[in-house]
Amino acid sequence: MAILRLRRAVVRGCVACAVMLAAFPVALAAVADAAPLVAAAADLRFALDEIAADFRRATGHDVRIVYGSSGNFRRQIAEGAPFELFLSADEAYVHALAREGFLADEGVPYATGRLALVVPEGSPLKLDGELGDLATAAGDGRVRRFAIANPEHAPYGRAAREALQKAGAWDAIRDRLVLGENVAQATQFAVSGSTQGGIVALSLARSPDVQGRARFVVIPERMHAPLVQRMALTRRAQSTAREFYAWLRGPQARAVLARHGFGAPG
Amino acid sequence: MDSAALLLSLKLAACTVAILAPVGIFVARFLATRHFAGKPFVEAAFALPLVLPPTVLGFYLLVALGGHSPLGRWYEAAFGHPLVFTFDGLVVASVIFNLPFAIQPVQRAFEAIPDDLRHAAACCGLTDLQSLWRIELPLAWTGLVTAWVLTFAHTLGEFGVVLMVGGSIPGETKTIAIAIYDRVQAFDEAGAGIMSAVLLLLSMVAIGITFLASATRRRHGR
Amino acid sequence: MDASADALTVELAQARPIPLAVTLSCAGGELLALVGPSGSGKSTVLRAIAGVYAPARGRVAVGGDTWLDSAAGRFRPARERSVGFVFQNYALFPHLSAQHNVEQAMGHVARALRAERARMLLERTNLGGLEARRPAQLSGGQQQRVAVARALARDPKVLLLDEPFSAVDQVTREKLYEELATLRRELRVPMILVTHALDEAAMLADRMCILHRGTTLQAGTPQHVMTRPASPLVARLVGLKNIFSAEVVDHDPARALTRIRWQGTVLEAAHAPQFAPGARIAWVVSPSHVVMHRRDRPSRGERENPVAGTIVRCIALGETTALSLRVGAGGGADIVFSLPTHAARRNGLAPGVEACISLLADGIHLMTPGDSSAPA
Repeated sequence: MAILRLRRAVVRGCVACAVMLAAFPVALAAVADAAPLVAAAADLRFALDEIAADFRRATGHDVRIVYGSSGNFRRQIAEGAPFELFLSADEAYVHALAREGFLADEGVPYATGRLALVVPEGSPLKLDGELGDLATAAGDGRVRRFAIANPEHAPYGRAAREALQKAGAWDAIRDRLVLGENVAQATQFAVSGSTQGGIVALSLARSPDVQGRARFVVIPERMHAPLVQRMALTRRAQSTAREFYAWLRGPQARAVLARHGFGAPG
Repeated sequence: MDSAALLLSLKLAACTVAILAPVGIFVARFLATRHFAGKPFVEAAFALPLVLPPTVLGFYLLVALGGHSPLGRWYEAAFGHPLVFTFDGLVVASVIFNLPFAIQPVQRAFEAIPDDLRHAAACCGLTDLQSLWRIELPLAWTGLVTAWVLTFAHTLGEFGVVLMVGGSIPGETKTIAIAIYDRVQAFDEAGAGIMSAVLLLLSMVAIGITFLASATRRRHGR
Repeated sequence: MDASADALTVELAQARPIPLAVTLSCAGGELLALVGPSGSGKSTVLRAIAGVYAPARGRVAVGGDTWLDSAAGRFRPARERSVGFVFQNYALFPHLSAQHNVEQAMGHVARALRAERARMLLERTNLGGLEARRPAQLSGGQQQRVAVARALARDPKVLLLDEPFSAVDQVTREKLYEELATLRRELRVPMILVTHALDEAAMLADRMCILHRGTTLQAGTPQHVMTRPASPLVARLVGLKNIFSAEVVDHDPARALTRIRWQGTVLEAAHAPQFAPGARIAWVVSPSHVVMHRRDRPSRGERENPVAGTIVRCIALGETTALSLRVGAGGGADIVFSLPTHAARRNGLAPGVEACISLLADGIHLMTPGDSSAPA
């Protein structure tokens, strides 16, 4: 009978824990509720973290940033995801959402994205921004795997494909591609050592985490259609989001973006 | 270490177990004691999430609960926010996805109870509920603990469905599994490593409890 | 037997999955043994009476209280039936002590009184001091007693026992028989004991009911059923071996005899006027009515039904010797009987020896020839 009593106590304990845990983060949520959700293209990670820190220091307000692929965010916002600001790596997604009525307006361009060829330590690939060596390397087996973001929904992936096609290396390399779900994952693949290199966002290639493990070279703009990165407020945007939107167009934010390898907008 | 994500995961797991515990008991007992035409199909339906790829489930849930679906639109009209991309949506997905974990161990435990014991309970004058509470649940205890622990641990680790139905919204749907994914993409291997170690530890504790429960049962001879 | 106590009446009918064609009744205070080979449906009958099994058609009533009436659509579930059931494997709740097992059946008793009553019941079944033990800590015999105590704790209107002695050893079994016999004297409710052991039924029961493939064949006192079976099938089921066919010669009402012809001899049997002269019948004689003639004193015609033949089987089994006497020419028929071993030895009985026996007339019971192919 003692066992039965012990078991009953355990049951009651578990129920109590469950109730407590269920109630507790109501407090958490209440705090978090105040900070607006920002959907940001994956290539903005390091730059935007710095800009958000500056924003907090200047205004005392927080934002919650979620990084991912622009195409994914475009879909999620259309499904009703509660983002208040969308920083896309491709303006086409912003235009589409505006057309469908999910945005406050058409938004503004905030930066121009640049591509970089990344070659990790120990890779036999040559560091050539014109991608001249790549087709040969695919043919003679020096390159077995090459990382880019998924061209289906990631702007940097699409641009990478354009650059490869322009260099005449696309057909040779396409069977060896490893596709990242977004350009940050592609960068991960490119430096991880399990690929021989990749084409990723310049802003990510310049980050300190990559610097120690790989070398990069900028790919000329003429190799791909311009990556006009556009941002817009959604219909759900409240005051803090609007403040942040304004901050992003200001000089301090511009400087940070430039430092991370983004071109000026427009 | 993203403590908000960890707490969110724990909260999700606790809510899932809290909902599935009674559901598991009643469904499992029904399946263990009744025999009817079509029973194999019902059991297969409950077991489906075991073999279903998480993204398939995530896809169908998005279709059924998303902003364009009738259910999703009703929910948004009633509560002001969509069902997907919220904690509530995660709970719905998690409950469906954990059905086999919550039902099968309990069903096996109920099946292991000899029918004569139930008959004896009835002859003693016990009602169905009294029989369940006083006789069957204590004897099915190991199965229950296994079910709850497995459901809890499985929810902690769930990734694909959570990502598709919840997005990755900090404080709302960014569970620890997603936080780990996010940390890796941010080249923060230290952060990812700590959180992975925590999850590994929790999983080992879960398995340990399950084994302990069945060992205790064997020692006490039921 | 207290006539005012409620009697149990049972009628069950079903074709599938378990065939049933049962009619039985049991008066208050009476112990009815339900006897039959394995698979005859005895447990199913008990479960139908208890209410844990719902037959296709049937009627179960205790006194004026109808528990089951399929025609009227009435079915009272087991928990409302006030029945005490001792299961074959006892079905004790393994996680509860003996006392708590018994207390489970006391829902109808005030909570404050339950513990005391349970202890008293366990005392009554000779388990005093063992109340706190779990079933796993009790011997087979002790577990059986707990099961009985729990059944009694229900203050049942009917007591059902499903082969309650099959799982214990011989010595314990005899002790339990005595305890049941003692318990019986205090109980005023109908009791049904299911068993496949005829000697157990004969020892404990007031009446016996033979069940074969779900059909009740005959009911009566053990003495009656085992010496006056209704058919060759019943005769076989109660373990009688001397079943033969014969032809009725004529009746002699004055001497209460019926004469039959068998193996070329005329035998005098107990009077059975229902069979017409010339009719073919089956007959049986129980071993207790077979008497051996002493070989050194040959019969001079004054013995009943003398039958001569050759011993074909003589096997000493301890203190008793089993014998078969072949009667009649050309194959003939074997009469089975037994003698104390010393008597068999004294008479020099062995296979091949000629011997003579008497079949006592009132032990020869005539039956309608049934489905059995009885040797002529």
